[in-house]
Amino acid sequence: MVNWQKKHILGIKDLTRQEIEVVFNLAASFKELSQREVKKAPALRGKTVINLFFESSTRTRTSFELAAKRLSADVLNFSSSTSSLSKGETIVDTIKNLESYHPDILVIRIGYSNSLYSLSQYTSASIVNAGDGANEHPTQALLDMFTVKEIKGTLEGLSVLIVGDIKHSRVARSNIFGFQKFSSSLRVCGPPTLIPYEFHKLGVDISYNLDECLPQADVIIFLRIQQERQTSSFFPSIREYVNNFSLNPERIKRTKKDCLIMHPGPVNWDIEISSQLKERIHPLILKQVENGLAVRMATLYLVGTQKGEYENTD
Amino acid sequence: MKILIKGAKIVNFDDIIEGNLFIRNSRIAKIGEVSEEPDKIIDAKGKFVLPGLIDMHTHLRTPGREDEEDLWSGSKAAAKGGFTTIFCMPNTRPALDNQGQVNWLLEEAGKIGIIEILPVGAITKGREGKELSEFGMLKKAGCLCLSDDGNPLEDSSLLRRALEYAKMYDLLIISHCEDKNLSASGSLREHLISSKYGMEGIPWASESIAVFRDIELARYLDTKIHIAHVSTKRSLQIIKKAKEEGVKVSCETAPHYFTLTIEDLEKSHFHPNFKVNPPLGNREDLEAIREGLKEGVIDCIATDHAPHSQGEKELPFEEAPPGVVGLELAFSLSYTYLVKAQILDLKDLVKLMSYNPANILGLKDKGYIKEGAWADLIIVDLSRSWQVLPHKLFSKSKNTPFIGHTLEGIVEFTICKGKVVYTEKGKNG
Ligand SMILES: [Zn+2]
Ligand SMILES: [Zn+2]
Repeated sequence: MVNWQKKHILGIKDLTRQEIEVVFNLAASFKELSQREVKKAPALRGKTVINLFFESSTRTRTSFELAAKRLSADVLNFSSSTSSLSKGETIVDTIKNLESYHPDILVIRIGYSNSLYSLSQYTSASIVNAGDGANEHPTQALLDMFTVKEIKGTLEGLSVLIVGDIKHSRVARSNIFGFQKFSSSLRVCGPPTLIPYEFHKLGVDISYNLDECLPQADVIIFLRIQQERQTSSFFPSIREYVNNFSLNPERIKRTKKDCLIMHPGPVNWDIEISSQLKERIHPLILKQVENGLAVRMATLYLVGTQKGEYENTD
Repeated sequence: MKILIKGAKIVNFDDIIEGNLFIRNSRIAKIGEVSEEPDKIIDAKGKFVLPGLIDMHTHLRTPGREDEEDLWSGSKAAAKGGFTTIFCMPNTRPALDNQGQVNWLLEEAGKIGIIEILPVGAITKGREGKELSEFGMLKKAGCLCLSDDGNPLEDSSLLRRALEYAKMYDLLIISHCEDKNLSASGSLREHLISSKYGMEGIPWASESIAVFRDIELARYLDTKIHIAHVSTKRSLQIIKKAKEEGVKVSCETAPHYFTLTIEDLEKSHFHPNFKVNPPLGNREDLEAIREGLKEGVIDCIATDHAPHSQGEKELPFEEAPPGVVGLELAFSLSYTYLVKAQILDLKDLVKLMSYNPANILGLKDKGYIKEGAWADLIIVDLSRSWQVLPHKLFSKSKNTPFIGHTLEGIVEFTICKGKVVYTEKGKNG
């Protein structure tokens, strides 16, 4: 029996390649389980999972909620935008209050980058990061990588391209740290204003020219662009952004035949990707959603049981 | 009250002599052999006597946030740290921007009377950076210098007026250098580390751009200016050049800038106790600060003592207010990391922490141990070390990144105007 040592899953940064492989193996088992008639496993029976979302995200929350339920945990959803916390009440107060329910796992989505380590000091529960500011979104990267591995058979030596707002993207960071652990080569492409300072020092290739990047890539992840980046002058207009960085029918011809085109969703059609490509892109996005459930079951299982393997005893 | 300090090594910025020191009432009466009978004898054999330290930059949170620090706890902390004179910044609620506020503060400080608290008046009304406060009235109330610390004066024309107008009263303008548009919502230095964690960073240029502008105005107007809490290599290069060219610029740094870097912040898992403004820099900045202290480009070490409540430091790093407490640590930090580390000698330290601040602010009979000067003195034992423990700090707030650290050099006695205002536990004074 493989044991799992990590109490929390706060970021891909902290995971080893071996640990990521453990997640993948488990995710494969859980994916198989989800295809059966009885989709439930008793692994987390009697455990309490709280989805603590300080930023709204129906999709990620739903995925975690279903993942926890499939593992037979009791699930509580607690949503509160930080702005609606009553005056003087802090995030720490909220976590301290929830301690009264003796939760085993807190799944936290929060707007503050890199804030979960300090919050972990105030709870005895394990924390799974469901996105913290622009820092990390580890389960998204795990599901992206799992999906790529499923299709390509390996993550070794792939050429991965991430396009768009790298600076503000937790998805980009988690994927970069993840793919790098499998010796994939990483390249980011976007306007220079949206490439983080000194980012090349992470061993990431930087480009401002999408057309040049497309032919080499085995995997391309398009990131969602927030409209407000335009008003704060990261780029002059959506139109100009689209001209440079949107995937359209012309550009897609430049990609490899078997290139995987991914998006963490929801897609702004005709901004990141042309709506004419919906049919080409959609199947993979649906696969990502399905795999997301399996990967999240795996992460909850790991921190909830500290076991690195799943034995189906039913 | 007459006090005889026996057999100490007496340290000034220019000399160390061994001998007796006799205090009569509030002044140093004699250095050398004394026949007069004292009321009290302090045997200081093997110890060092230094001029009382002078801190140009503290935040005492009074009025407004007395839960974080008040004049009593701040005075106790200062005395324990060896400071006999401290300047408190005007970013209180309400701000120290008028004669009435300053009078009130000095009256309250007078009632405590542990060490000398001197007010820094605000440059602009309410520290809003819009209209000048009444410099003349502030001067009359007792201000020697003015600052909007916490905020830069963004309007260059307003800074120009402030520098010009301050000439009339010989008031020193202390500038908090930061380009707010650049630093924006950043909470740490923009660096590979901030990029790695997706945290909003502050470019180092934010400080040096402001330093350069301030120096150009001081050069243009031929006025003095003092730059607060210098933290970057580039700022120091600009200041050094300006000094060589004769601009009347002086500057200070704070202990955290020559002891910590952004790497330490990362190692702390981004603990809010490591959040300061300007933010911690990289190794090059730290080395440049040490070099600047050694070369004399930096005139003083000030604490930028900034108490914050437990609750405020429980906020997420990006939301937590910047600042660390420093009064009780500054001397030992400086001694440990500068003198023990053989970057400076003890005389240099006295220059940076007492002689220079006294000169820059025109404090008469302070900062130098001589007959006739105020008996503002500290006795330190440099052979002993101590551990920083939160419950042992006199300051009401415990926000320091040095909790648990062992530091060299202990202040055993603090004497302010002839009165022993702090005695280390176990010492008889
Ligand atoms: Zn300041
Ligand atoms: Zn300050």
